[in-house]
Amino acid sequence: MTDARTDVIARVRHGSRGQSAETVATELARIARGPAAKMPSDDPCVAFLAAIVGNQGTIAVARNRTETVKAVADYLYQRYRSHKLVAGSDPRLAALPWRDAGLLPRFGGAENGEPAALSYAQLGIAETGSIITLTGKSNPAANNLLVEDHIVIVHTNDLVVTLDEAWDRINGMIADKRPRGINMISGPSSTADIAMQLVMGAHGPRRWHVVLAGEVPADALAQARQLNGLD
Amino acid sequence: MQVSSNQFVEQASEALQQPHAVQTRDILGAFLPPVRDNAAAQFGDFQALRDHVEAVRKHALENLDHYLAQYEEQARDNGNAVHFARSGDELNNIVLDIVRRHDARQIAKGKSMITEETGLNAVLESAGLTVTETDLGEYIIQQAGEKPSHIVGPALHKSPDEIRELFLEKHNFGPRELEDAPAMVEEARRVLREHFLAADIGIIGANALIAENGYSMLVTNEGNGDLCANLPPVLIVCTSVDRILPRAQDAMAMLRLLVRSTTGQPVTCYTSFYSGPRRQDDPDGPVETHVILLDNGRSDILASDYSDMLQCIRCGACLNHCPVYISAGGHAYGSVYPGPMGSVLTPLLSSLEDANALPNACTSCGRCAEVCPANIPLPDLLRDLRHEEVTRGLSPGRWRFGLKTHAWLARHPGLYRWLTGLAVSLMHRLGRKRGGLAKLPMASGWTSQRDFPTPEAGTFMQQYRQMQDAADD
Repeated sequence: MTDARTDVIARVRHGSRGQSAETVATELARIARGPAAKMPSDDPCVAFLAAIVGNQGTIAVARNRTETVKAVADYLYQRYRSHKLVAGSDPRLAALPWRDAGLLPRFGGAENGEPAALSYAQLGIAETGSIITLTGKSNPAANNLLVEDHIVIVHTNDLVVTLDEAWDRINGMIADKRPRGINMISGPSSTADIAMQLVMGAHGPRRWHVVLAGEVPADALAQARQLNGLD
Repeated sequence: MQVSSNQFVEQASEALQQPHAVQTRDILGAFLPPVRDNAAAQFGDFQALRDHVEAVRKHALENLDHYLAQYEEQARDNGNAVHFARSGDELNNIVLDIVRRHDARQIAKGKSMITEETGLNAVLESAGLTVTETDLGEYIIQQAGEKPSHIVGPALHKSPDEIRELFLEKHNFGPRELEDAPAMVEEARRVLREHFLAADIGIIGANALIAENGYSMLVTNEGNGDLCANLPPVLIVCTSVDRILPRAQDAMAMLRLLVRSTTGQPVTCYTSFYSGPRRQDDPDGPVETHVILLDNGRSDILASDYSDMLQCIRCGACLNHCPVYISAGGHAYGSVYPGPMGSVLTPLLSSLEDANALPNACTSCGRCAEVCPANIPLPDLLRDLRHEEVTRGLSPGRWRFGLKTHAWLARHPGLYRWLTGLAVSLMHRLGRKRGGLAKLPMASGWTSQRDFPTPEAGTFMQQYRQMQDAADD
């Protein structure tokens, strides 16, 4: 009896057209990119923030590094009246002026049941209101899966409009070394498996807070809320 | 694949006798289609997106030999053990071997239709392992000892009260209210968190396999699949050869279609791409990863006239829009794949002999084809299966005789018109007083529930001629 691999490959070959690699590549190149979703705003910052609110996340903006740490501290204080925070060993996080906000995160992986963790996104995607992180020391899995609140900083320099642009960037990041995982996160953990009722915190974070840092238009936050029918 | 599809009529009758379940399905059928329509409208040019993904999928399937080789090479380079399984049994045995090699006791599973198809849980459980389904819907039906009724929402047939009773019975937490869905989700979260942390092996499925880089894409809202993929020391991805797409961008295009067609969201909470075991310097992640590529009849479908079916992205839109599925429910189909997609796929994956009732569980209304994001001509494929059923003599002799008679009559239009004219005038005379007929020969299926309306004024052709004459005058 032949082994399963040989068999399956032979059977798949029988059902395929058996074209040369060059022909396949030419055919594929001819298939242009598909359309992206219509944007609610021409400003990527507004569209990104609006999509995050649509995804049941909460938003804040910060125009400089001090405002960034303050935004994180404010969120923590409002939620827990404490400044307990765990953050991945990301040099960009370590370099933030934490003292300005009276906050010192513990750098490493979250323990089961720890309240809040902070990530620094590789990318933000306006089309879907998503953030991208890569697995590794800067993003221990527990930090975005086992905590109650997941806080993410996205820099406007890392904001792209479409999912296709996101992968153009990711392909560059993973060209030399492929990380174990690429996580695209677009909201708190949720389920509608009981009678189609949406409930947050199915297994992972119950809340998801995104801080958009950098050159954000002054009224971006207000516009994003307005697009979601808030305010 | 084990099926009880040929008891469709009996199973559907049973399903119709359960008033609460009927109501639940009616809500599903009323609620989900507008959610999908709204998401498609919000997107913009949804049809262009469908056409684009169809072009990509067709190209990928026509050149599946090429992309399978590329995917396998990349996945191995990423550090995975790549296995092939011709049948469901082979897949189950590969998993069992891995589990035994690690002396594993506890397995945490993400949602995987492939392992539903192969019946993996039963095999693992009979080998003495504890298998926990971690998708909330799958967990609920596992606790209840039931099968999924929907490919996306496996427990949507269960009412909150039934789930409450189930949790009170199965979870040993003492007296408590569990008054609403959030309370039940909270309790399941507490139970399942322990399973994630204790599991020796994680098993997940894949929504797509990317040939150019060997990553597999996993789409969930709960994040349960990600917990299975990240916490246990060994990860097994159970998937099938038809999930392969050329590029990451193709997976993104498919994602845009999939999520809108499934839940109406622009994207799910977690879309993750996994390449293999933990890297040097990684603080976590599985140390060993396996990918099992199942064929189980798919290469036969690829080489057949039904190859369009392999474009299916398992979104469930055809189920939500199907009048038969909404009336009869998923369990009536006697297969893990119900509804229009299941009525095509089940006979192809098992046999037409075992499942020829399913292609007949169709009113040819065409709604499934209207909403299918993968542009699969489902009503055409169902008709082709019915045609094959008749030519292979699998349908009852009575049916075949009726169809043959009809075909012969249709080829003799003079006789056909004379006979239908005769029938119409007879029915008109018999039912004139009541406006309807309570009984008709060979149509008791109709008349047992309602009267057959009396034809008013001749056959279609008679009326057509009259109108034409009137127009000519």
